[in-house]
Amino acid sequence: MKQDKIGDPLDRVDGRLKVTGGAKYSGEYKVPGLTYGVLVPATITNGTVTAMDTRAALRAPGVLAVITPFNAPPVPGYQPGAAKPVKGLKLFNDNQVHFNGQPIALVVAETFERATYAATLIKTTYQPQPFETDFHKNFDKGVVPNEGKYKDYVRGEADAYKNAPVVVEQDYMLPSEMHNPMELHVTTAFWDGDDKVTLYTKSQGVVGSQRAISTAFGLDPANVQIHSRFVGGAFGSSLRTWPHEVAAVQAAKLVKRPVKLTLTREQMFTLVGYRPLTIQRIGLGASTDGKLVGITHESHSQTAVYEEFTENAVNVSRFLYASPNANTRYKVVPLNVGVPAPMRGPGEATGSFALESALDELSYKLGIDPIELRLRNYTYTDPERNLPWSSKYLKECYQQGAERIGWDKRSAQPGTQRDGEWLIGYGIGCGAFGAYRSKTSAKIKLLPDGTVNIQSATSDIGPGTATSMTLIAADTLGIPADKITFQLGDSSYPIAPTQGGSQTVSSVGSAVHDACVALKQKLNTLAGLSPDTTAPIDYAGILTKHNLPMLELTQDSQAGDDAKNYSMYSFSAHFAQVYVHPLTGQVRVKKLVAVVDGGKIVNLKTASSQMIGGAVGGIGMVLTEEAVFDDHFGRYVNGNFADYHVPVNADIPDIEAIFIDKPDPIINPVGTKGLGEISLIGVAAAVANAVYNASGKRIRELPITPDKILMA
Amino acid sequence: MNPFQYTRSLAAAGAIQSVLKEPHAHFLAGGTNLIDLIKMGVVTPERLVDINPLPLKGIEKTATGLRLGALATNSEVADHPLVLQGYPLLSLAINAGASPQLRNMATVGGNMMQRTRCNYFFDTAMPCNKRSPGSGCGALEGINRMHAIFGASPACIAVNPSDMNVAMVALDAVVHVKGPKGERKIPFADFHRLPGDHPEKDNTLERGELIMAVDLPAPAFSQHVAYLKIRDRTSYAFALVSVAAALKMDGNMITDARLAMGGVAHKPWRLHAAETFLKGKTPGDDTFKQAAQIAMQGAKAYRYNQFKLTMAPNAILQALKTASA
Amino acid sequence: MSTKPGKDPEKPEKEPAGEGLLSGTRRDFLKQSSLLSAIAFAPATVVKAAENQWPEKVADAFEKVDVHLEVNGTKYNVQVEPRTTLLDLLREQLNFTGTKKGCDRGQCGACTVHVNGVRINSCLSLAVTNEGKKITTIEGLANGDQLHPMQEAFIKHDGFQCGYCTSGQIMSAVALVKEGRTQSREQISEFMSGNICRCGAYSRIVKAIQEVKTNQS
Repeated sequence: MKQDKIGDPLDRVDGRLKVTGGAKYSGEYKVPGLTYGVLVPATITNGTVTAMDTRAALRAPGVLAVITPFNAPPVPGYQPGAAKPVKGLKLFNDNQVHFNGQPIALVVAETFERATYAATLIKTTYQPQPFETDFHKNFDKGVVPNEGKYKDYVRGEADAYKNAPVVVEQDYMLPSEMHNPMELHVTTAFWDGDDKVTLYTKSQGVVGSQRAISTAFGLDPANVQIHSRFVGGAFGSSLRTWPHEVAAVQAAKLVKRPVKLTLTREQMFTLVGYRPLTIQRIGLGASTDGKLVGITHESHSQTAVYEEFTENAVNVSRFLYASPNANTRYKVVPLNVGVPAPMRGPGEATGSFALESALDELSYKLGIDPIELRLRNYTYTDPERNLPWSSKYLKECYQQGAERIGWDKRSAQPGTQRDGEWLIGYGIGCGAFGAYRSKTSAKIKLLPDGTVNIQSATSDIGPGTATSMTLIAADTLGIPADKITFQLGDSSYPIAPTQGGSQTVSSVGSAVHDACVALKQKLNTLAGLSPDTTAPIDYAGILTKHNLPMLELTQDSQAGDDAKNYSMYSFSAHFAQVYVHPLTGQVRVKKLVAVVDGGKIVNLKTASSQMIGGAVGGIGMVLTEEAVFDDHFGRYVNGNFADYHVPVNADIPDIEAIFIDKPDPIINPVGTKGLGEISLIGVAAAVANAVYNASGKRIRELPITPDKILMA
Repeated sequence: MNPFQYTRSLAAAGAIQSVLKEPHAHFLAGGTNLIDLIKMGVVTPERLVDINPLPLKGIEKTATGLRLGALATNSEVADHPLVLQGYPLLSLAINAGASPQLRNMATVGGNMMQRTRCNYFFDTAMPCNKRSPGSGCGALEGINRMHAIFGASPACIAVNPSDMNVAMVALDAVVHVKGPKGERKIPFADFHRLPGDHPEKDNTLERGELIMAVDLPAPAFSQHVAYLKIRDRTSYAFALVSVAAALKMDGNMITDARLAMGGVAHKPWRLHAAETFLKGKTPGDDTFKQAAQIAMQGAKAYRYNQFKLTMAPNAILQALKTASA
Repeated sequence: MSTKPGKDPEKPEKEPAGEGLLSGTRRDFLKQSSLLSAIAFAPATVVKAAENQWPEKVADAFEKVDVHLEVNGTKYNVQVEPRTTLLDLLREQLNFTGTKKGCDRGQCGACTVHVNGVRINSCLSLAVTNEGKKITTIEGLANGDQLHPMQEAFIKHDGFQCGYCTSGQIMSAVALVKEGRTQSREQISEFMSGNICRCGAYSRIVKAIQEVKTNQS
């Protein structure tokens, strides 16, 4: 009998469902009496809705209801004085319009076609107000966020870089980027009486969704059932419960039938967050032998006027490199736009692009190889928190990546290597992302046939959570993976954190591990052995012998106090080889090597896929993706999949994912540190730096499209 | 989509009559552009007249060249042995456009009829003279990175998005149309029009006229051809600039040349002066650069598409290099 | 009407009550329209008022038309509004939810199906224009429990993560092999570029296709 082990390349346990079309996503459940909800977006950017003529819509065939600010049934959590007020936009709760595309009505009809058409029949009268969407114009209106952790950081002396012998001071710009998961955001909601509601909704965290909906409607959380078994990608866009999900529940209550509300691709540009437009200034000062003496990192990014969004854009500069002086400043600029949301490798990816680009610029100024420069400023402890790393193998990442990309073939002189008409260049970009672990619970059940079922209210937006959990359970229990089923995406299961911040395997994996250990201990005890005996035992046999129909337990798991004494991060070094065509400005990534210290790797196959996928996201960030805004009208002009360019197959070369694969001794029993974010962090800089090495053109405003190469 | 009626047509004459009967009736072929426009509310038809059953799918040799039925799909044309052999430029151009799935649906006639991709045209919440005459041009002072550098008017600076059209105009194709007044031929170069004061009119078809076929002259440029499309990602994106280049060579001398550009004008943009210049010349960077310079005469850029003044001549140079290599 | 429910891995539920009301002729519809108003529960200001003042032209436009087509070898006779796309017919009426909606505008490839053996975007194809055609969706690819080699290869090479673009990728990949577009890695990539994968499984998809191609030759 083959024993599946942590680290094996196991095929996805839900692979068969996904390749046969059998995997059901939230918009695909056939609920009796289903109706269709379609949102009507505002076409002004700031102001009020003064009147809505819904008569034609209500007369259109199949229309059941039109919800507007003038007739919306109240959502308890939206009301002043609510016990737990809902944060953010409260749809239809008042007639204010804060951004273009904000929903101002919801049409419910018998079919999708009828709802969609009726939505076009509503005539709205507005009182428009002046608006501000232009980030650059409003740059100086940036404010330090309310949350304390975003206040200015200073270690040593602020802006010390300015007095160093060698100085780099540059601005770097990232445009707004859209998560654009392939699955459209969708919620199907239906009520059972007045106090129980069920949702099939696209969610990265069913527990969070349950909490949000119960808060909005003043319900007992136990009466809010969330299903989100398959999620067609999210990348952060489903970390929170959005106003349109509340609206679907509101509508279902009104029409007393199930309502399915699906956003259009265009609506996903305004209603489910995005990586905010950001301008960062990096100041680096170094001695002539390449020792950093000062790092300054400032960031301005956009947020909404109605809700503040923040992320860790500048934090990386506090700890990634040794420097006696480091300071950061972080500000947000409120605009008449939808609120941003964390997008894969959130602020860290943004910050890493700026810092790692500036470091590359410094390497050319100093005439020191970029890897060597990083080695000269390597940190063996966390300079920000003055703590030891729980584990850090970034040096090993540099070394292995350099070997695999063929760093020795890199020319220190930009624009000097060719393959026919194309210029060749190499680049490196690094990053770090916090390794987290949250309290999680798992229920484990052993059945007489020797199979094991485990449940936890986690999600799987793509990384293969059930597969990794199965592998951890198989390894811990010492039984084959095909004897184990792992269930997720159901709020009635024991609690788990939202799938975000790269913490799922660390958190849920620990709970699964601990539940398996607890089960084994129980069985050992039943078998009359010492609880911690590691010798193989006959699971089913013990049940039969004790005449038990099954054995079930629920296990909580969380980090110990020890974790507070360490600084815990995943680290990455990405390497790119690119071709640049000097005449056409085309850039092709020819080779990409992603090396990560993410602790122990649970499933080599899915982990590699995750690394490759993050790298693809990074290639999109650096070369193709930009949500383009027209500030005259306050609307996106490329809010669709044809004009917002997610990389396609032809953009992507073979990508090599390399794991250091050494368990972190502190964070959790398996030793995993997380991959989801780190897989993207550093990629953009690696490619941009390679573009410079190839062409001698330093593009500091992403994405690096052909026009920018030609005009640089 | 707004509700509309549907008529399946079995004969061209009947289809034409059906469209003429109602002011908001449209022919439906592959649907890849029209259905999208209806979904976006840009077109609100009362009736669609499905012409797919019409016998217009053939690709046949004629006495003077090759006839492409208006309903032959883009894939069928691009992959046809006679096209690959005699008109490789057309094959290259078609395969540079859209995606395999869309090319399997889109037809020759439909590709010619596709509307601009200008986002102000597609977004009914913004002004557009092409969609809604008299409402203004949002792109003129707006985000005009993708827009025209040749032949635009204050009313419209949109570009024709087709790749196929660029090759067709370079190859001197001729369009056969049938309408209420009978049949007529339109040189491909005259099929699409510049916006002028009537950007709502993409082409010179009259109401009720149906494209029946496109004729290609005898193969003359089957060897030294290139289609270069510069875009924001490697595939499945509209052109920033594209160039169709075809050369006839006698030893080391260019005896004839065809050059056209996409992504630069309201119609596929033929570069006659540059072609004339190239005739009798020896291929080389200097010659090609001069040709490119000639081709760029009269170009005018807007706020966000200044780069096209550099990219377009570079693309011409690169396409000529590839074609002559 | 001989509409059959699609193959559903889960037990097919009863057709929604409202759906039956909407089929049939305009006159039926007008009657049902007032019926619907009568059974509406919500406050009158929100719910549609009873109405029967339809302009003849508009009412005509809502009339459904018959379409006969074959999906995965089973014949269907369905009634659809002319504006219903093949994608929405498959997903919402016939319950073939394996075919995905990612953009609804021909810009992502998630809705790729084969019509008479050719891959197309079902979101831009009106159901009515598929009269008499043979549609193959992801649900029709396997032979019973025996997966199609492309499905096997996608599992083996992990050619997906979230799985949402996967149906379209596989339908495209099967067609690609048939089209003979597997001469090089570059060709595979280019001719798979009509299928966007946001999880970034592209290089693995290419490997899956290469394996199927190798095993075939």
